[in-house]
Amino acid sequence: MRKILFALFALLAVAGLSAQEFTMVNGAEPTSLDPHAVEGVPEHRIYTALFEGLTINDPRTNRALPAVAESWSFSKDYKTCTFKLRRGTTWSDGVEITADTVVQSWLRKMDPKNAFQYADLPAMYIAGAQEYLDGKAGPESVKIRAVDKYTFEVQLVGPIPFFADMVSHYAFAIVPLHAIEKYGTDWVKPDKMVSNGPFVLSEWKPQEKIVVVKNNKYWDAKNVVLKKITFIANDDINVGYNLYKSGAADWTEAVPLELMDEAKLRKDFHVAPQYGTYYYIFNVTRKPLDDARVRKALAMSINKNDIVNKVTRGGQIAANGFVPPSTGYTPAKGYGYDPATARKLLAEAGYPDGKGFPTLSILYNTSSSHKSIAEFIQAQWKENLGISVNLLNQEWGTYLDTRSQSHNFDIARAGWIGDYLDPSTFLDMFVTGGTQNDGLYSNKTYDELLQKSRETSGNERYQLLMEAEKVLIDQDMAILPLYYYVTQNLIDTDKWDGWYPNPLNVHPWKFIRPKK
Amino acid sequence: MSDEVILQVKDLKTYFTVDEGIVKAVDGVSFDLHRGETLGIVGESGSGKSVTNLSIINLISTPPGKIVGGEVLFHGKDLLKMSQNEIREIRGNKISMIFQDPMTSLNPFLRISTQMIETIMLHQKIDKKAAKEKAIEMLKLAGIPAPEKRIDQYPHQFSGGMRQRVMIAMALSCNPEILIADEPTSALDVTIQAQILELMRELTRKLGTAVILITHSLGVVAGMCDTICVMYAGRIVERGRTEQIFESPRHPYTQGLIHSVPRLDQETKDRLYSIPGQPPNVIDLPDCCPFYPRCEKAMDICRKKYPPVTSFEHNQSASCWLYAKETQNV
Amino acid sequence: MARYFIRRALSVIPTLFIVITLSFFLIRLAPGGPFARERDVPEAILQNLLKRYHMDEPLFKQYLRYMGDILRWDFGPSYRYRDLTVNEIIDHGLPVSMSLGVISLALAVVGGIAVGIISALNQNKWQDYVAVSVAVIGISVPLFVMGPVLQLVFGMRLKILPIGQWVSTHGLKAIILPAVTLAFPYFAYIARLSRASILEVLRSDYIRTARAKGLKESAVVWKHVLKGALLPVVTYLGPAFSGIVVGSIVIESVFLVPGIGRPFVQSALNRDYTLIMAEVVVYSLILIIANLVVDIIYGLLDPRISYK
Repeated sequence: MRKILFALFALLAVAGLSAQEFTMVNGAEPTSLDPHAVEGVPEHRIYTALFEGLTINDPRTNRALPAVAESWSFSKDYKTCTFKLRRGTTWSDGVEITADTVVQSWLRKMDPKNAFQYADLPAMYIAGAQEYLDGKAGPESVKIRAVDKYTFEVQLVGPIPFFADMVSHYAFAIVPLHAIEKYGTDWVKPDKMVSNGPFVLSEWKPQEKIVVVKNNKYWDAKNVVLKKITFIANDDINVGYNLYKSGAADWTEAVPLELMDEAKLRKDFHVAPQYGTYYYIFNVTRKPLDDARVRKALAMSINKNDIVNKVTRGGQIAANGFVPPSTGYTPAKGYGYDPATARKLLAEAGYPDGKGFPTLSILYNTSSSHKSIAEFIQAQWKENLGISVNLLNQEWGTYLDTRSQSHNFDIARAGWIGDYLDPSTFLDMFVTGGTQNDGLYSNKTYDELLQKSRETSGNERYQLLMEAEKVLIDQDMAILPLYYYVTQNLIDTDKWDGWYPNPLNVHPWKFIRPKK
Repeated sequence: MSDEVILQVKDLKTYFTVDEGIVKAVDGVSFDLHRGETLGIVGESGSGKSVTNLSIINLISTPPGKIVGGEVLFHGKDLLKMSQNEIREIRGNKISMIFQDPMTSLNPFLRISTQMIETIMLHQKIDKKAAKEKAIEMLKLAGIPAPEKRIDQYPHQFSGGMRQRVMIAMALSCNPEILIADEPTSALDVTIQAQILELMRELTRKLGTAVILITHSLGVVAGMCDTICVMYAGRIVERGRTEQIFESPRHPYTQGLIHSVPRLDQETKDRLYSIPGQPPNVIDLPDCCPFYPRCEKAMDICRKKYPPVTSFEHNQSASCWLYAKETQNV
Repeated sequence: MARYFIRRALSVIPTLFIVITLSFFLIRLAPGGPFARERDVPEAILQNLLKRYHMDEPLFKQYLRYMGDILRWDFGPSYRYRDLTVNEIIDHGLPVSMSLGVISLALAVVGGIAVGIISALNQNKWQDYVAVSVAVIGISVPLFVMGPVLQLVFGMRLKILPIGQWVSTHGLKAIILPAVTLAFPYFAYIARLSRASILEVLRSDYIRTARAKGLKESAVVWKHVLKGALLPVVTYLGPAFSGIVVGSIVIESVFLVPGIGRPFVQSALNRDYTLIMAEVVVYSLILIIANLVVDIIYGLLDPRISYK
């Protein structure tokens, strides 16, 4: 009996170590497996296993790599992009993917009747798409077409040189319309689901796990090494961390703040700059926050290095500018820690030594780390400016409502992670009347600069965007950047190959494989 | 009454340890019980009469109580030295008990049948059916109407008097040699008390059962008992045949007790007599007559030493310095 | 008895009706809605979403529609989990939550009573001291501390039990840690409760009677003590089961148990109205039924209570 048990254990151990199976702690239960219905990081990771768009992200640089499209080219003015589809790529049931599949997929995403969130992302860039999404025109107005069976052409609203990078996003997903037609919303269930990525769905236990196995019909199947990936659904980052530490998972990305110091000592803890910023929104319609001098004084009296080193402690980078730096783009200089100048500015605005300054409040959604940061800033303003602020925490739904619907706040915590590697994903937010312009900032110059940027390309476009950020930050201090996010991942890169830290934190599964 | 002694209690001592010290609840009690005799143990609350009887069948829970000395010889065998198994053979079988409060002495969650049958089956080697018949018969004897129906009811469906009848039926169901009745009527309505006592007398006579009747009421013992032991502060202060005790009580305490019984045959103009003062606190009692603070005839010696037993005619005896004159001068 | 049962069962209907109606309007009073995002949903999409889920209709009409659906036991689509209907989510999670709850309750009751008996029968001896100390820990340590501590000890250090996930991944041993954690405070309370109540019953007159009848101590305990002593425990079963059901919401997150507790939390945070409503209905039903069952058990145990 003991021998049998021992043998069983040995077998289990081998199976557990079997390096062709991969387990990751994926965060919250995915809201959907339908690529057009998803939003959020856990869903994105499952999407990259099951599906491929025209392009996928390079695991190091996040730039476009060929996928369903084997090549692409732009017209001279960068307003038309033509994708050449790989011949013979099929769905996991063998049905071929053609240019028409792409057209119909994208139209499905933007069909106003489907009411898919994120449908505005493609609609923002594809000529005629916004009208379709708004219900003002039919699908024929959308300027996408199948030139021939393997050629797909998009006309853009302006010169968009990063369009090929962008189409790796799930908002541009290609979906198996034949299966959707057949099964309706049930098409994502394990026994029915058809996909075109390196993996296919094998098991879906809601609130527990999703298991995908290698797709032998995948066009590049010979280069996919993993046989099985398990995505564990969890809502408690402590368990996720423990699962990883105990060896039950190979990859997790959330580390509890209180265990950060322990995690930082680990060799398999990877911290890398992320394309995202943590910031405070000023409600610029409220006194005294309508005065740029006040906003600057508030910004200059915070020691952001202390925030990242003493409060968040996870390798975040103190930010004075808003847009994270990237190749060819230098963020606005902003204002560093300078309490003396801050006091002077506050005095100029009519509040010498903080006298007469009303008690504002900082709004944040309930979370211990947001609270720690707000408390630190509260103390800094008290110490450096002599002003008092209240802290106001609200649960997520209420906070979102206060911040984006009623705008009934003074200063609110916010964070944004870019959907794709382009400064516009940050700067577009603050145009007058923009849906994410929760501080109700409005500046004509800024709006014009952004409008102009949409009509230009290349270096000229970047200059316009940098100019716009200078208006937003250096001139108006409409929002208060605090730090640039970093990606935090726990994965043993001595064991796994093909996984690299990158700014979008996107890690296509086809490249991940055990190290020899 | 036969002259065969079936139970001999010799110098029984049961102490309780409490936070304040040691309570000598029973402190050197001795008495004999003859076959068929009805013995009354009389005393105020806290005089140790109940503890005496629980000690006899070794039911004192330890802690806090402990039987620290003495012997209880049942047919010559010391019950206190018996193993748990041996004494369980005796309990409920040869010696059974009924208690003061019939409302709480029956298990409210079990049918009367369950509670009676388990006793009968435990001590008599008969099957369940026979046991039930026996139980019904006992209930009938005890004066329960429609016993075959009522036996399947629960205690709460019986009145207090009826429950005490059930207790009596249960206690006598194994034909015990001794029935210890601890204040069997004090919780009952006065009208019912007489009925229950009458029932006990009748049944025990019929079955030849000896009875130890514990009570605080001399009125109860007067009609029931052959002999009486009067207890005060854990000791027997006077004993004798019932007629003797009532006729010529020796101990001032006994006299006081008798004096305080309301009598129907005398016209009472004065208030009913009551013994002055309170029963003593029996914690760490010094060597003295514990009654002296309340005694109208108290002397110096009463305060210093416990009086020896003085015997009188007709087997009457008392512990009081009034009668121990020769030692008084020592 | 049967009539009593039917009457109690019927009384569930108005209770549920009130619960559903209140919840329906209360959750819509909370700020925000199911489609609020940090990145705002464009107006055109929002309008289509509202139309899709009939949220563009007047509130009262939505309410009538909802009541109609619920009569057919149709909870509608989840706003958050687009691939699943609310019924599917409940069908997936309820058996898991129920088995966790029932196992935990069983552990708490059986363990608690056993420890209560041992410590009452060994009052003021070492067994009693150990049991009382364990009970104090159980009552004072919250679930969200107890869970991770057990994970650390049995999952990380000793590596004998899985840290999380459920039967489909780890087999039956996946139940042990969450069930033990969930049961612990109730186990501790029941142990204390039954200890106290056994001690009280042991001092009662009818136990003295039972002993005077010559019954063995084991027969005294099993036959005469327990039935009366366990009544307070039965009374506590109602609150205990509610507590376990609510506690399982925490436990499910800590141990990654795929029950209905985690979607409940998520639905509340995300204003997933249909899912919140279904969870409220299901939890209310569980609690109402549990209380009914407890009442019936109590009546069966205590002959003094009769149902008319």
